This record gives sequence, structure tokens and C-alpha cells, in this order.
Amino acid sequence: MSSEHGHDAHELSFLRKYVFSVDHKTIGLQYLITSFVFLLVGFGLMMLMRWQLAFPGRAIPLIGPMFSPDLAPNGVMSGEFYNALGAMHGTIMIFLGVVPLGVAAFGNYIVPLQIGAPDMAFPRLNMMSYWLYLPAGTLMLLSFFLPGGAAQSGWTSYPPLSVINPGQTVWLLAMVLLITSSLLGAINFLVTTINMRAPGLSLMRLPVFVWSEMVASVILLLAFPPLEAAAVLQLMDRVAHTSFYMPKDLVILGQRYTGSGGGQPLLWQHLFWFLAHPEVYVLVLPAMGIVSEIIANNTRKPLHGYKTIVYSMLGVGVMSFLVWAHHMFISGMTPALSNFFLVTTMIISVPSVAILTCLIFSLQGGSIRYNVPMLFALAFLPLFGIGGLTGLPLGLTVTDIYLHDTYYVIGHFHFVVVTGSIIALFAGVYHWFPKWFGRKMNDRLGVIHFWGSVVSMVGIFTPMLVMGLAGASRRLYDPTAQAHNLIVQPLNVVSTYFAAALGVFQLPFIWNFFHSMFRGEKTPENPWQATTLEWACPSPPPHGNFAKTPRVYRGPYEYSTPGRATDFWPQTDPS
Amino acid sequence: MEKHNDEHRPNVKLYIAVFAALLFFTGLTVAVSRLHLPRPQAIALGLTIAGIKAGLVAAVFMHLWGEKKLIPKILIGAAFFAVTLIVIDVLDGVWLTPQDTGRMAVADQHPDEGTAPTAKPTAAAPAAPAAPAAPEAK
Amino acid sequence: MNATAIENPDTHSGISNAKLGVWLFLASEVMLFATLFTTYIVLRLSATSWPWGWDALNVPLATLNTVILISSSVTIVMAYARAYDRDVRGFRLWMALTLALSFGFLIVKAFEYGHEFSMGIGPSTSVFYAVYFTMTGLHGIHIIGGIIVNSALLYMSFVKEDWENPLFLGRVEGAGLYWHFVDIVWIFLFPALYLL
Repeated sequence: MSSEHGHDAHELSFLRKYVFSVDHKTIGLQYLITSFVFLLVGFGLMMLMRWQLAFPGRAIPLIGPMFSPDLAPNGVMSGEFYNALGAMHGTIMIFLGVVPLGVAAFGNYIVPLQIGAPDMAFPRLNMMSYWLYLPAGTLMLLSFFLPGGAAQSGWTSYPPLSVINPGQTVWLLAMVLLITSSLLGAINFLVTTINMRAPGLSLMRLPVFVWSEMVASVILLLAFPPLEAAAVLQLMDRVAHTSFYMPKDLVILGQRYTGSGGGQPLLWQHLFWFLAHPEVYVLVLPAMGIVSEIIANNTRKPLHGYKTIVYSMLGVGVMSFLVWAHHMFISGMTPALSNFFLVTTMIISVPSVAILTCLIFSLQGGSIRYNVPMLFALAFLPLFGIGGLTGLPLGLTVTDIYLHDTYYVIGHFHFVVVTGSIIALFAGVYHWFPKWFGRKMNDRLGVIHFWGSVVSMVGIFTPMLVMGLAGASRRLYDPTAQAHNLIVQPLNVVSTYFAAALGVFQLPFIWNFFHSMFRGEKTPENPWQATTLEWACPSPPPHGNFAKTPRVYRGPYEYSTPGRATDFWPQTDPS
Repeated sequence: MEKHNDEHRPNVKLYIAVFAALLFFTGLTVAVSRLHLPRPQAIALGLTIAGIKAGLVAAVFMHLWGEKKLIPKILIGAAFFAVTLIVIDVLDGVWLTPQDTGRMAVADQHPDEGTAPTAKPTAAAPAAPAAPAAPEAK
Repeated sequence: MNATAIENPDTHSGISNAKLGVWLFLASEVMLFATLFTTYIVLRLSATSWPWGWDALNVPLATLNTVILISSSVTIVMAYARAYDRDVRGFRLWMALTLALSFGFLIVKAFEYGHEFSMGIGPSTSVFYAVYFTMTGLHGIHIIGGIIVNSALLYMSFVKEDWENPLFLGRVEGAGLYWHFVDIVWIFLFPALYLL
């Protein structure tokens, strides 16, 4: 363990303490706030799209006239603007919202505490990660205001379209910055967890959340570089007019493409999905980790099948690298490979189901405390289950031919990411809020936020599944342009109303968060009577976290051990 | 407080020997490439020599020989995924038969050039005129 | 679990943070260059023709660069050996030599690029040149990164407290690992682009 970041008690300037901080806790909160802001921005973009989908051709209410005439003539959204919104919504939500929130925000704050470390292994590198992430995100947002506008080729940025479309260069630059930031973060997490665990904290005594962060970091470490390289190649195609992804004899709007040709558009899809599928597990694994922590704590019993969960997470991590081309079944890929990826896709569902099953069994026989984090964690189980199960038909080539590129796909992955990851991340916020600020979030507002959010989310995404089964394409700017969509068009309106409701129900959360930061009910050091190490230091922890390096004597979830006076047995308790 | 002094004891004589070997293999690979071997053989030989050189650098200069087991494990993991990426992406081109789709034929195939006899990259490439995996005929 | 049965598991890998971090970084670099080589193979297999390096590029200059880079790998490991023996003058000498060789590599590379540009050849000429310029360009960026790190170490050897920091040797070793990796990448790039 390095001695560089010991106990420097001297006062730091405001800038060093809150802005360019090297403390993992401050950086974690910086990530938390920033990624929530990006989630809100991504949500805003989506609301604009939802208006267009529900009421195509009608002027956007209130803010419509504020857009420039190129984007929205007379307040009616243009097709190009819709495309830009779609691309940016996906990019922002995934790369700037959920991943930084799950991996970087919670990981930074909680992982060093849960392993009993004074800080991350490389505090300055940690600061650099954040200060690459913020400019990358800002650049991504600014691209709306640059000449050429924002990216319009979807978050997947498929060539040849993405090489031809305007606005993509800035997207690629921002992605390269963002990937670098994630790589530094992943290295930091891995070194920290491998080298800086408190004495006695063997790997099989690690909380599940730490395991999930470790697996997510391995995925980021090994899956992101291919996208970085692929992004550089696409950048070369755009800037230096190479033809990595541009085939020969391409005709664009009646014009022959002037580059040398000879490239392979499908190569990009391979390289992109080599990252982007594992990325789904980066979105989901920390969520599973958070839910495991909360369920064990609130059922007051050990997790059912700790080892099964850990090995399943490792299995998911490895398998996640071998399923990418199930996104490409109808792209013109070699059909023989489709069979391979069909099989691996079915295999990867096994460990995911194992984890979920263990979590459900953990509830059995517990005397459950229904506090706000637990409500969110309980909602995660069935809703994430729906997300996972709706994915199976997409992993089977035969059904995917019909469902590919329909709203069914959108419904599926939003069930996974929104009612899965984001719900779990909310649970984490409520659970660890007392750790961050020494105060508790208001329960009543929390319950309102919970029911409002869950009902709205299901209300948004269930209609999408139905529309997709009816054959509605996900790419349409005006769904009424195809006659067969007219039957399900009312569902688009339903979906939009629920989306608006989801926005409204975030207001109590936002207010609750900032109000409780300063005015919330004060909590004791270990308000949830939890066993893991992060509750064995003051809340919020001082610089350096633990007054003296903790010693660990047992596994992470020793609840309701027979013959003990209290129903929890902290990992640090020597008795 | 570094508990373990994990730096490796240098072995200067070995370094010099490896340096000599690297120079030798560099000369060898350049010389071999002048022989105009058929391309598959030339590629196999060139990659073998490069592999030996890389192995020497990694084992001796990077002290991988005698390093703690964790590091080779990390590298084997990365190598596994790297090989997966390469193999599958290459197979995607090579396994595509003309019956599957006309995509490749439209994109950039020139059937008359596709059958040049100098080299076949792999046995898997079909000999049909519209062979999708174009041999690198010169 | 009963208290007497508590084992004392090793919670530290025995590898310093810096070294482990560098190796993890190199694992990600393996993936980065594997992607570039994938691109190379896929594009080459689907190309109607692929030029021979001797016709399209300057092999003697590239051979010279290979020798330069291999030599720099030896000089940096010699710098490490000197640092290991706490010989500051020896360290500075070998590190300076390493830096000189790295600049030499870049200068030769610049000549090569300059010659190609003057003949009207650029990345957009053909897929072969696209691969060539992109891969050697990215490799060149890695060289520049190495020069920055190595210069910083050379500078630090003049600062007494840095030189006497027990972490210094580990830093030299980490920089060396990175530099050798850049060398290994070139060892594969050289035959792939110039010879085969």
C-alpha cells in the first residue's frame, strides 16, 4: 500500500478540496452529481422525441418556437433533429449517465470503504478520470451547437452513414476521451481491489458489490480498447478520407463516393458490439451488486448462494465477450457465425438467471424491512426479470429476424437498463445516502418517488413491447408514415404520457436529495445495522477513511447468526 | 510502505545476449523476405520470427520470466479475448459463401482477380470465382 | 464461522500498485493493437490486391528503425540496471541514450512519411496505405508518450528527493515495461507492413 496518500490533516483550498480533489469520496460525489445531470439531459432529449412520436407533425408545446428553424421549423421537429436526439439520447444515457453512475460514482465512493482502504490506489489518476469524463460529456453536449450539429447516426454510429453524416467527428472525439477516462478508472479499481484490501478480507469475503465492480472493470479494461481503435479508424475515415469502413463503388445521393474504397462496413459493427454488448453487463452488474447488498441487509439474513452469485458474475463477465454478434443477425454476417452467437447468447442467460434466482431465494424466510432502498431493490427483481426474458426472443435468430429493429428491442433493453439498472441505482442512493452525508433521505418522499417511478417506467416500456410485436420500426421519425403502425399509434401516446409522469415523479427525488443533504434527519454511524466495512467508519468518512486499518474476521453477510445478542455481526467484530 | 520489494534483479549479460539475438532475427526476417517465398509460407515464417523476438523481449526485458503468476494470467486473459476478436472477425469474411448473400460480390469483388493462382490464404476459402475471401493476389 | 478458524489470507498480490497498474494498462493496449491487427487482416483478406512492402514502402529505413527501437529497449533496461545499483550517473547516461534513440526513431519515421507525402501518397490513397499510416501513426503516438514519461524520469533523477524515493525504481521499471511493449508492437508491425 502506498504511503503517498496518508493522513495529511492540513486544510486544503476550496479548489483542491471540492474541484480538483484526489479524495475518492469527493470524486465519487462529483461523478454522482454529474451523471445524474446527464441522465436528466438524456431524459429531456427523450421527452422531445416522445412528443414527436406521439403527435407527429404537431409543434412542440412551450419550447418548440425556441429552437432554430433548421432544427424545428415552426416548432415542428425536423427529421434531422429527431435523428440527432436519438443518437444523443442513447450516447448520453449509456456512456455519460448510467455507466459513470454505476461504476464510477458508486464504485469510487463505496469500493475503497468496503475493502477497508484509505483511498484508491492511484488518487491522482482518479482525479484525471473525472476530468476527462467531464470535458468529454461537455463536448458531447456542445456538439448540438457546433456547425454540423450533433451526431445523427444513432448511438451505434454505423458506417457508411456515420462517415457521411455531419456532426459525427465531435462525437468520435468525445468518445475517445470518454473511453480513456473509463480505462483509467478500470485500472484504478482493479489495482485497488487486488492490492489494498484490509487484512483478513480474502476474495471470498468481499461484498458482492465489490465483486460486481471488479468484473465490470475487467470488462471495461478489455472491451473498451477495441472501440477506441475502431473510433480512431472512423475518425480517420472522416478526417483523412481513408476507407476503413467504406466499400468500393458506393453511391451516395446519386454521387459516387470519392474515397479509395475497399473497406468493410461490417467490421465497425463487429468492433462496436465487441464493446457495446459487454457494456450492457457493465450497466447491469453494479446494479446487481447494489441490490444484493440491500437485500442481504434488509432481509436480515445471509445472501442465498453468495458463491453462486460471485461465480455467476465471473461467468457473465467472460461470456459477455462472446455474444456480441447477436446484434448483427440480420446485418449480412456469415450465417454460420449466427449459430455460434445464438448458442453463446443462450448460455449467458444461465448465470444471469442464477444471480436473479439467488436474490429471490434470499427473500425466503427473511423478516423483511420495507424501507425505501428495499422497495427499489424488490422492484428490481421482477422488472429486471422481464427485461432479461424479453431478450431471449432477440437472441434466437429465427424470432430476431421479425423483431429486429422494432420497438420490441427498445422495450427490451429499456426494461433492462431503466427498470433494472436505474432502479437499482436509485436504491443505492437511498441506501448509501446516510454514508455520504450523515443524514437520511425523507421516507415519505422516497415512497412517492418509488411508486411514481416504477409505475411510469412500466407504463412507458410495456407499450413499446406491444408496438414492436405489431411490427413498428424503431427508426421512424413519423410512425404514422406506415399504415400498419396506425393501429398501435395510441400506444405511443400512452407511452409519452407515462414518460411525462416519470419526469414529474423525479421532482420529489431531486428535492429530497438536496434538502436532505443539509436538513435531513441525522443518522447514527451504522443506521441500517449493516455488517460490511463501509459502515465501520464515521459518516461521512474523514480523509483517509478509517482511523486505523480495520481487520476482517468473517464474510460480508453474517446476519441473524444464532446465539448472538444482535442480529448482525460486523465483519470487523473480533468476538 | 512497500511490503515487498518486487523489482527484479537485473542481468546485464543476458540483456546483451538478447540484444544480439534480436539483431540477428531482424536481419533474418529481412533476408527471408527477399527470397520471394510463396506468400502463405512467407507470412508464417515472418510471424514466427516476430513471435520469437516479441517473446524474448517480454520474457527477459519485461521480466515476465520469473514474474508473479498474476501477471501472466492477466495477459493470457487479454490474449484470449484478442484472439476471439481476430478469429471471429476474420471468419465472418472467410466463411461467407456465395449462396449466403450477394453482398460481397457487389461490394468489392472482382471475380477475375479473385482466382489468381499465387496464393490462397486459407483452405476454408472456396475456390468459386466469386470467392468472398479474396486471396491477396498481386 | 468460529474465531479460531480464521486464516490470515494474503490481501496483497505482492506486486506493487504501480507495476500492476502498468500491466493492466498493457493488457488493454494488447486489445487496442489486436483490434488494429484485426482490421489489417480483415481488410487484407477482402482486398483485391495488396502491395508488397518492398515495392510500396522504404524497407531499409524501416529496418534501421527496427534496430533503433530494439537498441532503445536495451538501453532502457540498462538504465533500470543502473538505477537498481543506485548509480545515478549511469542511469542518466542510459536514459539519455534511450531518449536520443527514440527521437532518432521519430526522425527516421518523419523522413519516411515526408517521402511518401512528397510522392502524393497519403492515407486516402488505398486501404493498404490507410492501414499503414494509421497503425504506424498510432504507434508513433505511443513513442511520443514514452518519450514524455522517460524525460520525466530523467528529470526526476536530478531531483534528490525523487531519486531517493523508494518508489523511483518501480517507476523506472514501469516506464521500461511500457517502452518494451511499444517495441513489441513494432516487432509485429515491421514484418506485417513492410515484409509480408
